[in-house]
Amino acid sequence: MVFVTCKDTVTGRACCVVLCTTEEQNLVKELVGLSTRDRIRAIRGLSMSFKEKKHIRLVLSHYVSLIIKQYNTNNQVLIQWSCFKLFSQSFRRCGYSIKSARQTLKLWQSIMKEIGGRFGTSVLSYFVFLKWLLMFNIFSFLVNFGFITIPLLVYDPSPNIPPNVSFTGLEMLTGAGYFTYTIMYYGGYSNETLVGLVKYDMKLAYFFTIAVYMVLCGIALIFSMASSFKKNYVLADPTSNSAWQLLSSWDFSITNERAVRQRKNNLRVQIQESLSDKAQRQLLTLSEKLKHLGVYLGFWLLSTSLVVGCGVSIYYLYAANWSLLQEAETLLVPFVVSLMNLVVPLLYSLFNKFEHYSSHRRQIYALVVRNILLKMSILAVLCYYWMNVVAKKFSCWESVVGQALYRLVIVDFLFLMLGSFFGEFLSNVIGTRLIPRLGVPEFDVARNVLELIYAQSLAWIGIYFSPLLPAIQILKLFILFYLKKVSLTQNCQPPRRTARAAQMQTIFIALLFFPFFVGSLSIVAYTAWRLTPSEQCGPFRGLNSTFSVVGVWMDDLHEIPGSQWVIWIYENIIKSEIFYFLMTLIIIDTYIAIENKPFMNCG
Amino acid sequence: MGTTASQLGKDSLAEYQELTFLTKQEILLAHKRFTELLHKDHKGDPHARVPMDRVLTLPELKSNPFRKRICHVFSTSEQKDGSLTFEDFLDLLSAFSDSATLEIKSHYAFRIFDFDDDGTLDSGDLEKLVNCLTGDTDDTRLTTEEMRQLISNILEESDIDKDGTVNLSEFQHVISRSPDFVSSFKIVL
Repeated sequence: MVFVTCKDTVTGRACCVVLCTTEEQNLVKELVGLSTRDRIRAIRGLSMSFKEKKHIRLVLSHYVSLIIKQYNTNNQVLIQWSCFKLFSQSFRRCGYSIKSARQTLKLWQSIMKEIGGRFGTSVLSYFVFLKWLLMFNIFSFLVNFGFITIPLLVYDPSPNIPPNVSFTGLEMLTGAGYFTYTIMYYGGYSNETLVGLVKYDMKLAYFFTIAVYMVLCGIALIFSMASSFKKNYVLADPTSNSAWQLLSSWDFSITNERAVRQRKNNLRVQIQESLSDKAQRQLLTLSEKLKHLGVYLGFWLLSTSLVVGCGVSIYYLYAANWSLLQEAETLLVPFVVSLMNLVVPLLYSLFNKFEHYSSHRRQIYALVVRNILLKMSILAVLCYYWMNVVAKKFSCWESVVGQALYRLVIVDFLFLMLGSFFGEFLSNVIGTRLIPRLGVPEFDVARNVLELIYAQSLAWIGIYFSPLLPAIQILKLFILFYLKKVSLTQNCQPPRRTARAAQMQTIFIALLFFPFFVGSLSIVAYTAWRLTPSEQCGPFRGLNSTFSVVGVWMDDLHEIPGSQWVIWIYENIIKSEIFYFLMTLIIIDTYIAIENKPFMNCG
Repeated sequence: MGTTASQLGKDSLAEYQELTFLTKQEILLAHKRFTELLHKDHKGDPHARVPMDRVLTLPELKSNPFRKRICHVFSTSEQKDGSLTFEDFLDLLSAFSDSATLEIKSHYAFRIFDFDDDGTLDSGDLEKLVNCLTGDTDDTRLTTEEMRQLISNILEESDIDKDGTVNLSEFQHVISRSPDFVSSFKIVL
């Protein structure tokens, strides 16, 4: 037993703290050397009961203050140290309140708990992803509406619509006609400096709002990717049927009695399968391996040619497009695009049934890669057409592109609803009444998440051309949530195999960021950098490129005293290449730092 | 009745936030649900215990195959009857929360799976574990031969020192290679 006596600094009373065991002494000695933040994290991570943790914390705080007092007889230093402690403590408390503030958005919490309780974590991850994307869009809408639209509405509330255009119902679908002249699209925004309470430059507002939003999105995605990667990425065992992996993946969040029974049955079947696999392991002969390889290559070739075919046909459909006078005809391209997005993935799932994969995981990866290739090439063809042909052909081309994106978003939504009907309802009917052998369908998380990612990249590309597009996206995601929830509960059964939910979640976030967000950002950046804004409409009319607003602003700032630092930042940082190099280094550094947070191993 | 926040002092709340992985919302919700379980005579007592059968009426634990083991592992009662105080309940939620580390989760998973509480997982524990997860009735159980084969596969995979049992570090080593463990070992109120 060791006694440590210390004097309470506030009341002056002597207090006695007893360290009972040598283990506790060693633990305290280890913890004393850490910074406060690491110490708190270490104590939280101790696998002891609450009472014991409280005891260790109390002992540590007395021990630490004793040591400080021994080494700092100078009162000044002690006061400074106490101030620093108070500051860091309030900083920490602030961090806690931010963390709990994120949870106050109780939207859909009870529904998601019900879904998780019945279908498990992997299906729930789709809905969590949807809610996360909804947050991005809400933020985008608030930012755009607040900084771009409201100043314009306050200054000039009535849109200047030519006299012969009136509102017909068809605009909701095509986005053209009456909507072309409203604040819905780029063309409806003025390039003036609004003089009211303050001088508000619309050009700068438009440019900076969108730029800052994209940058913040990118940062949020990088952080989510890093933390998800750190938490969930594990060097997975190649033997995916290992007994421990089956046993340790029991989903503790399932609360529905029937679902638990089903899981137990599925697990038993999987265990029995893995036992019989181990008993008779098949060795493929060389000719069989060659045959499988031939089949893979054949189907990959077929998928790639399908993708190329889709891309080419969309380009020619667009290029051969007839005058846009009749609004209904403009729906043809979005219709064809969404039809391809619906049919071709189903074809890929069909191909999957004929191919022979060594593991379930490789099957999912192949499917995901093919779907991504399809969606990216469709987006690439559309953007290429818009940047190269539309930008030169029309006078107010940004609004035209904005309308095209609006139509794509709306038609995509209609097809998602149809897809829910065909994908889940019909499969259920077929599986239960017509071909009972197939059984009740499972919810295909990968395909649905990819559809969400595609829809979100449309919204990201569209922000520049149609600032209020996030509002449509919010509505779309909102309705989609309820639609998918009803479809899931009525038509689907819980997944039979534990499909590596955590790793798939990381992969989905990485996919959202890497091809799709970076692609959308590059399209917007290319538009801002290289393409000439249209002459007659929009906030950047008359300029050589969108980015030159910053140059113009810098020139204006030369006249205003006291703003030299802004000009300095622009000249020396933004314009120099070293800045981007440093930014990349900082991002990589942060990434690595998040991954390697110090961990103390106790007990 | 009053608000639940006023029943939990600010200092206690701050202490709970520092010592567990839970956020303030989660702690307040836990307090609310725990006081519902308490007998009305004990409602003011911060060290009151809730008997195991009342804890097991919680919908999050009701259908869980490990519910009794969970209560026993987190209980600090001297009679080893599985009853929980509020601090035990917070410990439980903290270990099963989203932000808990792999070490904490694997430590408690080991203790939950250790049915005879002897500090190692021997064949008896493993057999009970498999039965818990696959069903206990006669027609859903694995056959004796399958069970024997499965247990020997498990031991072959994880028993590094070949003593016929799996100890904590061997368990943690094999669990760390299981990518779904952290996301499945979760209970949220």
